[in-house]
Amino acid sequence: MKKAIYLSVFMVGLLGLSLFSTSSYGGNTIKVGIVDTYSGPPATMSQDILDAFKLVVNEINAKGGVLGKKIEFVTRDEKFKPDIGLAMAKELVLKENVDLLMGTISSSTALAVSDFAKKEKIPFLVTNSRTEKITGEKGHRYVFGIAENTAMAGRAAAKALSQKPYLKYWIAGDDYEYGHSIAENVWNNLKKLKPGVQLVDQTWWKVGESDFTPYITQIMSAKPDFLIAATGGATMVTFAKAAKATGLVSRVPMYQHTVIDYGIMGPLGMDGPEGVYGTAPYLFYYPDTAANKAYVEAFRKAYGRYPQMFALFGYSAAKFIEKGFQKAGAVDKEKFINALEGMVIDSPVGNLEMRACDHQLQLPMIFGVTKKNPNFKDFLVASDIVMVPSKDFMPTCEEVLKTRK
Amino acid sequence: MSNGIFGGKGRILGVAILVLLFLFPLFLPRFYIYLLSIILLTGLLATSLNFPLGYGGIFQFHHAVFYGVGAYAAALMITKSGLSPWIGFVAGPFAAAFVSLVMGLICIRLSRLYFGMLQISLGSLIWIIVYRWYSFTGGDNGIHGIPLPDVISSSKNAYYFTLIVTLLSLWVLYKIIHSPFGSALQGTRDNPVRSAMIGINVRLHQLVALIIAGFFAGVAGSLFIVVDTTVFPDMLFWTLSLEVLIMCLLGGWFTFLGPMLGAAIIIILRTFISGFTDYWTLPLGLLMMSVIFFLPNGILGYIQEKLYWSPAEHADLVEDDMVQQTAKES
Amino acid sequence: MDLFTAIFSPKLMSQILVGLSRTVILFIVASGLSLILGVLRIPNIWHGSLYMVGAFMTFTISGAFGGGSMGFWMALILAPISVALVSLIAERSFFQHLYEREHLMLLLLTFAFSLVFGDLVKMVWGLEYKSVPVPRVFQGSVHLFGGLPFPIYNVFLLAIGPVVAIALWIIVNKTKIGKISRAAAVDREMVGAVGINVSWVFAFVFMIGCLLAGLGGALVAPTVNVSLGMDHTLIMEAFLIVIIGGLGNVWGALVGALIFGLAQSLGILIWPQFGIVFPYAAVIIVLLLRPTGLLKSTW
Repeated sequence: MKKAIYLSVFMVGLLGLSLFSTSSYGGNTIKVGIVDTYSGPPATMSQDILDAFKLVVNEINAKGGVLGKKIEFVTRDEKFKPDIGLAMAKELVLKENVDLLMGTISSSTALAVSDFAKKEKIPFLVTNSRTEKITGEKGHRYVFGIAENTAMAGRAAAKALSQKPYLKYWIAGDDYEYGHSIAENVWNNLKKLKPGVQLVDQTWWKVGESDFTPYITQIMSAKPDFLIAATGGATMVTFAKAAKATGLVSRVPMYQHTVIDYGIMGPLGMDGPEGVYGTAPYLFYYPDTAANKAYVEAFRKAYGRYPQMFALFGYSAAKFIEKGFQKAGAVDKEKFINALEGMVIDSPVGNLEMRACDHQLQLPMIFGVTKKNPNFKDFLVASDIVMVPSKDFMPTCEEVLKTRK
Repeated sequence: MSNGIFGGKGRILGVAILVLLFLFPLFLPRFYIYLLSIILLTGLLATSLNFPLGYGGIFQFHHAVFYGVGAYAAALMITKSGLSPWIGFVAGPFAAAFVSLVMGLICIRLSRLYFGMLQISLGSLIWIIVYRWYSFTGGDNGIHGIPLPDVISSSKNAYYFTLIVTLLSLWVLYKIIHSPFGSALQGTRDNPVRSAMIGINVRLHQLVALIIAGFFAGVAGSLFIVVDTTVFPDMLFWTLSLEVLIMCLLGGWFTFLGPMLGAAIIIILRTFISGFTDYWTLPLGLLMMSVIFFLPNGILGYIQEKLYWSPAEHADLVEDDMVQQTAKES
Repeated sequence: MDLFTAIFSPKLMSQILVGLSRTVILFIVASGLSLILGVLRIPNIWHGSLYMVGAFMTFTISGAFGGGSMGFWMALILAPISVALVSLIAERSFFQHLYEREHLMLLLLTFAFSLVFGDLVKMVWGLEYKSVPVPRVFQGSVHLFGGLPFPIYNVFLLAIGPVVAIALWIIVNKTKIGKISRAAAVDREMVGAVGINVSWVFAFVFMIGCLLAGLGGALVAPTVNVSLGMDHTLIMEAFLIVIIGGLGNVWGALVGALIFGLAQSLGILIWPQFGIVFPYAAVIIVLLLRPTGLLKSTW
């Protein structure tokens, strides 16, 4: 009987505590609600965004905040489950009364939350999901794309690949929307620029696949000229190891979006695959400008590690929040949205503009190939770097708005 | 078990809770109404699982399949055909019941653990189809922004709709359990050999139980669309099946309302602990461990034990029989 | 001669070999699960977490010893042992009091453990991806059939597999404790009545099972991204393999793993876009034909 009493007290206590878990801050803040995945394989990317975001927010708050109010943020871990992610977004808006939403790496959550944001008329900054649908087909007034999307990456890569001599292509990748989207965008644009390319075949494996050897041997036996590997961030490290172990890297040149990112190259260390083409919107070591160097130093000092490409999104989101509300003159959601349209912020990679017609941030794209570099002793870096300005590859306003019909 | 927690004096408590449920939207903020809707439909899902699991002794390890099939059937019907959404909401449960029938026919020849694993394998195939048929089902993105009839599109009305449908479904399930069919079903759980000997077609009873369970899981799926206007392939994944199973076990799988309680606890904890920390699975795990140790019949089972007599003894009898059964069958 | 080369084409042979090496990890993890489920009747969902902990421990231990080949070998020995120790603590503190309980409640308990450990791993090791380098001697690949590459590390796995299988078989069938465990699986009371301390026998079996999970994690670590979420990827496959192989049967786990691994790698050859379907289809077929598993179960 005693056990039961203890258990009931414990449970009632827990439930009671739960009902009192409202925020401790007063009402005089700008509240940001962040829903993202902080467990499982995607967590390292979400954390990069959050850390970069925190760094800027702390700076802003130290200077007195925006319009005299501090920026406050709350995070929720959806554990890559869209129904939980949506429920958390609803909690943040309906219970925590946040002024805007930020997040998430899961495209299905992002789309569901975007739909919810539209109904609730609350701004939603998509800092992590890469699906082009966010600002494309399913775009609307209340959603903003801060991360690069698959349409942008695909086009940039296609432009670069069209200059290369390869003709017979193989497409392989993670079997989910991101993988297919990247592959389609690269391929369709490549075909337009270079009609002679042929698609030999396609291979798709489940997300989180751990053994690529059977797939790789199948691809190698077909001897394509080039492989477009549409892998998500989490699988890329595993794929890179398998690619090296089977010798795929030396036999078939390949391209992967974000493979040159420090988040992938770092863990692989000097065992990483050389000679792989990749794109990324941000590298901490390029451009080697004073602004970028200063930013990286500040990040390192705060967190003891180099920033991955995702840091740029966290940074940008914070800057847009600061300048957006400042320009709006009040913590008013509609005025904030109007302010953001066409707004330009300064960043470690230079000026970035939030395009007004579709609410997509115009990021540049870095195209490079992985190589060992004596200046970097612990990991491979991108070399032969070409930085493609956004206007050279972003879909035009007409193209994007057409998909929304 | 026949009285449950709301028998006798508990009846007043039951009526009070019912009245409160109807009055909540008048004073609770919108988020809590939303949360309650989710709890109600998830509780219905868990109760529909407990029908074959607790009352039928069938190891229904992949119940989420029927939930997902119901939701997707309704979603696809609403978004792809030109018909009224109401038809979609009705189509969901029937699609789920149909899939339940087909899967049941395949799996029913096995028993216990093997039944469960076969169901998981078949269910996984269905998940793969939904996940990969990108052009039709939206693939891993799911389907969003499903249009609802105006009368249930506000959160308040969605809540009332969910509440009414859930209460109706629970009432129907309760009636079935306390019907001759229900008693026969429990007989097949306690002792299939003896049941067969007195002329009960064990397999047929189990199959019907599965169809009914699938039907109400489909109802829960349709309700999810009403509350959230989206469907995700995760709704068919085995991790959700496991979660719903946990809700039943946590709440008490020899009671009627145990699963509903289990669903409520897990959802409330999940929602509110994440307000404190991102490590919200840790306290949940610890809570589950305490319940297992101190309350082996689940929370409601324990409460009923203290108030009435049946569940504990009942559990022992069933445990013995199950051990003997599996020993004989191998 | 043409038919021969068509059937035994380099692509096919290569794919079969690859499927076999994949099987090894599946077998090791599944055999541990099979022992626990077969002898102790615990549906051990926690097994996946232990696999993940094995991989993370390998990362840490190998790093502590310099990260090179020496580090890997030390990790291969120490990581499974540390996992076994953790499992022993858990068994003595929690599981041993619950053997009499309903199986489903044990499932709930192991699930609770996996929830707790999922967060613990995050707390201890953090979020970033971790990579364990392949030891120098196993780097690169050999060129077999038709010049197709086969990673040397996979050759190592193919060698380790039978070693583990035979070692397990000896332990389970030839040692005294193995025979006692098998007896206790069928009739615990009888074994206790003969004066044997069944409790410690069960602890031993649980430890061996969990050690195997840790070993699987350690072996897989150099080939994959050591990250959170590893516990979910393998656990369902392990359960399915155990079921089709026969509960508590080490050779059954091997057969099950073979079927599963080969079905997948051959499936990729036949239908690259839907290779994932084949292992599940194989499981369904086996269960329909032999409902209690292919080989003899302990219960």
